[in-house]
This record gives sequence, structure tokens and C-alpha cells, in this order.
Amino acid sequence: MAGEVVVETRALTKVYRDFWGRQKVRALKALDLEIYKGEIFGLLGPNGSGKTTTIKLLLGLLFPTDGQALVLGKDATEVSKNERIGYLPEESYLYRFLNAEETLDFYGRLFNIPAEVRRERIDKLIKLVKLEGARKRQLREYSKGMTRRIGLAQALINEPDLILLDEPTSGLDPIGTREMKDWILALRDEGKTIVMCSHLLADVQDVCDRIAILHQGELKELGRVDELLKVEDVTQIRGRNLSQDCQNEIRDVIARHQGELLDMQNPTTTLEELFLKIVRDSEEPPAARAS
Amino acid sequence: MVLENPVQPFLDWFLGDLSNWGAGPMFLVTLLVLALGSVVIGLLVSIILYGPLKGGERVYTVVRNGLAEMFYWSPRRVSAIARLAVQESLRKRVLVAIVVFVILLLFAGWFLQSENDPAKIYFSFVLTATAYMGVFIGLLLSVFSLPDDFKSKTIYTIVTKPVRAGDIVLGRILGFTFVGTMLLLIMGAISYIFVWRSLDHSHQLDETVMQDIRDADGEVVATIPQLTTLDNGHRHEIRVNDDGGIVAAFAQGHEHEVLQDGDKLTVSPPLSTMRARVPKYGSIVFRDPNGNPVARGVSVGKEWKYRSFIQGGSQSAAIWTFDNVDESLLIENKRDETEYLPLELIVRVFRTYKADIETPVQGSIQLRNPETDLKSRIEFFSARDDYIDSQYFPRKLTDSDNNPIDLLKDLVSKEGQLEVVVQCVDRAQYFGFAMADCFIRRPDASPLVNFAKAMVSIWVQMVIVIAIAVAASALLTGPIALMLTSSLVLLGYYKEFFVSVARGAAEGGGPLEALVRLVTHMNLTSPFPNEKDRFEIQLLKNVDNVIGVFMQGVANILPDFTQFNGSSYVASGFDIPWPLIVQQLLTCLAFVIGSTVIGYFFLRNREVAR
Repeated sequence: MAGEVVVETRALTKVYRDFWGRQKVRALKALDLEIYKGEIFGLLGPNGSGKTTTIKLLLGLLFPTDGQALVLGKDATEVSKNERIGYLPEESYLYRFLNAEETLDFYGRLFNIPAEVRRERIDKLIKLVKLEGARKRQLREYSKGMTRRIGLAQALINEPDLILLDEPTSGLDPIGTREMKDWILALRDEGKTIVMCSHLLADVQDVCDRIAILHQGELKELGRVDELLKVEDVTQIRGRNLSQDCQNEIRDVIARHQGELLDMQNPTTTLEELFLKIVRDSEEPPAARAS
Repeated sequence: MVLENPVQPFLDWFLGDLSNWGAGPMFLVTLLVLALGSVVIGLLVSIILYGPLKGGERVYTVVRNGLAEMFYWSPRRVSAIARLAVQESLRKRVLVAIVVFVILLLFAGWFLQSENDPAKIYFSFVLTATAYMGVFIGLLLSVFSLPDDFKSKTIYTIVTKPVRAGDIVLGRILGFTFVGTMLLLIMGAISYIFVWRSLDHSHQLDETVMQDIRDADGEVVATIPQLTTLDNGHRHEIRVNDDGGIVAAFAQGHEHEVLQDGDKLTVSPPLSTMRARVPKYGSIVFRDPNGNPVARGVSVGKEWKYRSFIQGGSQSAAIWTFDNVDESLLIENKRDETEYLPLELIVRVFRTYKADIETPVQGSIQLRNPETDLKSRIEFFSARDDYIDSQYFPRKLTDSDNNPIDLLKDLVSKEGQLEVVVQCVDRAQYFGFAMADCFIRRPDASPLVNFAKAMVSIWVQMVIVIAIAVAASALLTGPIALMLTSSLVLLGYYKEFFVSVARGAAEGGGPLEALVRLVTHMNLTSPFPNEKDRFEIQLLKNVDNVIGVFMQGVANILPDFTQFNGSSYVASGFDIPWPLIVQQLLTCLAFVIGSTVIGYFFLRNREVAR
């Protein structure tokens, strides 16, 4: 894939030092990355692998010890790059004494958005993240899921081209996780570039186009998710309404071609799917359920 | 009132001259020195940490960003941050301060009693309380705000927006200033109402003791009460003036008019309990006991050098020269249509022998033309110590030979100068004077406006504290920023002493020497034994000298809070001159600009995340 490069790091290195300037931790070691326009890029790794450090370096919250990070063609330490960036921090670090509207209005002002446009976007975003019923409530009264949603809304107030999400699904229930993933995919479909970091592998697998796996500050793997997960020597066949005879025939065909049958059984659904189905059913009105 | 540093004309203060720079050039030079100093120190630290090439590049980036972003700020962003600061303050229940203030005033009424001038004690109490409260609230609000944002990481969502560090610092300063201003407005209004209500009172006439009023022939024309009733802790004597008006005579800093409606006499509300005198000051010189001109009178051994003294029963005199004396300074008495030159005099009496303590020391006052040496007839007065005495000279008066003269035509020189000569009559007693002790009183200003000016002085102090606190908290944690800012404020209140220690002029030497003297219980004034030959003492003094240089540097950026003292003017009943208010506002602006710049560099060049 060779689209327009939105984020580029060149030998990006971060060493944490103590007060006296002595080296404490080498959090990121010469990271080289390119992230292209319109993709969902996942940074993957265990705790302490350098994912969040990378995101913070891209945002200019940390200064690189060595190397360079370019975001939208500008150095990451430049403030003007923030005009086109949206950021959802790991925990939504928002002012708990503001309500949803005030929060979005405040961040809108920071982008120098005129009042009229601000009002429009606030309405649109509150509707998008489904907080219409809680728009006047202070954030201190919000549940974790609601806080994440308003966090996402504030990250989108400037209609950014690049969105950085730090652990977007952490602490969310399965419904919240599903919604968040749907929003991320929808944003990608609008042509936005998304960089997210997570240690929840299933979530990354569901949404990301490409991933980088970091471990102890080093890049261990980089590529398209489908390619990385593809098992070359295994073929999967899925079918519906196959009779026992048909299944036996398939077994024979495989045996005839000297193939090895690994597994042929009725699949189980994922727990996530089952959970969502039950919740959706119970939310339906009784009449609809009966039919 | 005491005026140790007369208010300079604005241009003199702002521009100064080559030998003594004014506030404007000093501000620019201080900013330049700070900027260059920071670059040099930053470069050294960077070179040590990152090597010459990379270190140099980093410093260059910092300076380049600074210059590029310095003037790039958006009113909408600044106002958004300011609004947030206001909301944050309200959430911190800043309004509790008002409740504390009201409780303070409720109890204060019990303790604030004065024999002479209740307005003075009331005003100085409310203004001092408001000033401390304002500075304290400003400090607490602003110093923890940014560090709290760092702690809760809410700063992450701010700095990842296109907000310049300068917007954040300035927005916070403005937001907290807005909150502080609202609080000061409320506290000011409560204070003014408190003083006004405390001073307002009414008397009845006490008819138990009556007095006869006689005309020039000794005939009784009326019988009126001798005293008013006792109200608000005092009573007045009833007197008939030369012009026939009846008054409840001056007591506790005010008087009342007695109004006559047919046979019925009523006492009016107090006249002028609150004043805002507008003085026209002159320059002062002295004459020694032989009549020779000297710059200062004699010292009577007081440590405070503000006043110097003239000897009684000799040719010793204090002479004030007033410029630009003309008709506009005269006032007209409506009853007898005579014009007067309203002169007011404050005398400090120093007795070398007690004599009859009830009998006041006598003084004399004359007007003199500095050109022709023509003098008005000598007027004698009884000196009341530390009291503003009115000496009104009519326009038509007589000279020392009893010839009729005109005050403006004969006593004022062609250049418009008039001299006032004051002497002490009683032998071996002394009068003490300073420049501000004699003045021509212009029409009074509005006491309410004057009170508002005092509130502006307090406001300026609060804003400076907020600006310093926000800048400090852009780099330091809350408690450390609190310590730094309160140290600067404390030093600001004692700047003169700080500078004298820095220059080695204070008794007891520099900080190290003072510490040694403190620990060894040694007198401040006596030298160390054999100090010239002792290496350790010399080392101590040399280290103190180096610290002194550093302290002098710090003194240049220290706010001089004693200069913002408007309450002494209001308490003594004097108008705060507008040039002083303008100076204070400009000083405040300078601190806000300086703090914003420093705060910008602190915030821009620190890593927001950890």
C-alpha cells in the first residue's frame, strides 16, 4: 500500500531520565513507521512495550530523545499540527465539573471554531455518541462507557483527518466495545486515518487494517492484519445444510488428494455475538419478540 | 499623612533620565537580561546533556518556536481557558471567602473603637482585610490550577489541541483575575457599606444643661442646649460661629450642623465623616537657629528620619514654597463672601521639658513673598500633635506692619510662588516637619471614588500575585509553586529591607553572616573579634557579597508591594493621586506580560506527559 503518508517516524527513540539526567528506561528504540491516509493502524503490545509512548511522542506530549516524528508533514512538537488531529486519551481526561455540551463547546473554542458551527457540531456529535439524554449532566455523574463516548466526541469536534485512540475499548462492556469498533470503522469509511493502540487483541483484529507489534520498545512485526494472520497451509471450508453423506464425501475427496482433515464440526458462535444477540432480543418490544 | 516617597509625575516615573532610569526602560532591560540569561543557561545545560551540536539545535528550536508563537494567540482560545478557570474556581467554592469576610466584619465592629478619628481605623481595617483576603484567594486559586491539570492529566486534552502555551498561561491569569475582581467588588461594596453604616449616626440636643447666647452688647439673644446627646460613643459641644451659624463642634473627626426651624433645633447627620482631601504640595527647606538655610532641621534622636525638627524660640523655621499659586486655589465662604487660601498643617510636637502638658506648645505661621520678602501679619496657633489643622488665610489681609495687602497680588511672586513660614514659639520645644505636612487644600474629591481607587491598588496586588503564581505553576508542582510565590510576595512587602541586605547596608551583614550571628547569639551591630585576620569570617563575608549580587538581581523582578498601599491614603482622608493609580496599573501590566512570557517558556518546553 502506498498512499499518502500521514504519520512517519524516523529512528524515533525515547529514553526516560531521572532528575539528574541519568538514563532510567529506554522506552522506545529507533522506531521506523509509516502510516498511510485512510487506514486503521494498530499499535499492539503488552504493557510497557512503548505503545502509549509512541502515541504521546506523535502528539508532542513527550519530546523524542533521538529521531523524529512527523505528523501530517509537520514535526510532532509543532502545535499547529493539532488543528487536524483528534485524540482520545487512555482514560478520558476531561473536566468533570463540565457537562457534555460545555465540554464539547470548550474544546470547540480551543479549535477557534465559530459559535454557529460549534453548536451544529455539538448537536451532531452528541447524537452520534448517543448522549442526548445526558447532555446537561456533569461528567462526574457519567459511567465509564459514557465518559469514553464523550471522550470520542471531543476528539471529533474539529472533524480531524487523523485520529489517535489510546486504548479505545478499555473498560467498556461488550455493547460499548461493539459501538466503539463500529464508530472506528465508520470513521475510516469517511476517509479518516486512525491510529489506535491496544492490548485487546480481538479488538485490534476486528478493526485494524495494519498493525505494528511492539515489545520492550522494539518493533517486532509490521504488516496487514489479514496477511499476518493468514495460515498458508490450511484451507477453511464453511457450508450450510450439508447432509452426513455430503460430509463423508468431502472427507473422501480430501483423503484422495492426500490432504489432512483437521476439523469438521458444527462451529460455535463467539461469546460476544451470543451476548449481543441476547441483549438485543431483550431490548425488543415484547410483541416483536413473540413473532 | 505620611508621604515618604512623593508621587512622581508620570513621564519622570516612566522614562526617568540617564542616571536614574524610569520604569519603562528598566522593564525592557530586565526582560532582555532575563531572556539572554535564560538562553545562556539553557545552552549550557543542553550542551552538557546532549552535546554541542544537538544541544545548540534544541536551544535554537526553543527560541525559534518562542518567537514564532509569541504573537500568535487567539482571543477565543484565551477566553475559553479563562472561562474554564472561572468555572473551576466556582467549583472550588471560592464564594466561601465572602462568607468569611462578612463574619470578619460582623465581629470587627466590636473591637474597632477610636477616640479621635473612627473613619481612619475603619477604613484601614476593611482595606487591609480586603487586601490580605484578595492576595490570599488569588494565590490559592491560581497556584494549584495548572498542577492539578497535570495531576489529573486533563492537560493532555488541552495541549493536543492547537492551543499555544501562551494562551493557557494568559487565559488562566485572566480567568482568575476575573474571579478575583468579582470577589473584590463584592468585598469592596460590603466594606464601604460597613464603614458608612458604622460612621453614620444622629444626635439629639441634650436640654439638661443650657447656655445663653449673647450679642455684641452682652444681651442674651437666645438660650440653647450646651451639648448633644451621647450617641455612637461621643457627644458634641454646641457653638455659635462668628457668622451666626450654630454647629455641633468638631469631635471624632466630624461635626454636625444645627438646623433651626422656628424655635425648634435639630442636629443634622454628620458632615464629612469620609474625606478625600486633594493636597497641593510644595517643597520644604529649613532655617537653623541662627536663620541660615539648611536642607534638614535637627534630629531629636528618632530612628525614623522622615521628619526633621525646628527649635522653638529661635530663628529656626520650616519654609514651604508653593508654585503656581493663583485664584483657582482660593475658596469662597458663602456666608460672608470672603475668599480664603485653605492651608492645612500637620505638626509633630517634641517637648524637651514637660511643662504644663495640658497647655499646647505655641507656633506661628506667616505667608511670605519669596521675591519681595513681604510678609503677612504673624498668626499664632496652638499646636495639636499629629493633627491636621486648618489655617485659612483671607485674601484681604495685613502685612507685618499692619498695612492692608492682597494675598495674590502682594504675597505671590511673579513666578507664582508663595512661601509659608512656620516657627515654634516656645523656647526649647520642637516642631517636626516633612514636606507633606503643609499643603494647600484643593476641593475634595469624592470619597467613594477614592475608595474605589484604593480597591484598584488592592486589585493590582492580587493580579500580580495571580500572574506570578500561574507562571510558577507552569513548571513547578503546586506546593513548591505556592512556596515560591508566597516567598516573592513576602519579600515584595519587605523589598526595601531585602535590597539593603543585598547591598550589605543592613545591620548584621548578609544572609550567612546573619545566620552565624543568630546561632551564636551575637549582637547585630558589634563586629566579630579580630575579624580582619580571620579567614573564615572573610570567607563568610565574601560569599555574602556574591549572594548579595544575586539578591540584587532578584530585587529587580520583585514587586514592591509597599508601593501599592492605597489604604493609608483613604484611611488618612487623602485622595489617591491618579498618576499613582496609572503607575500601579502599568506595573501590573508589566508583571502580567513578564509572567506570561516566562510561563509560556516553562510550559512550552516541558514534557507534558510522563
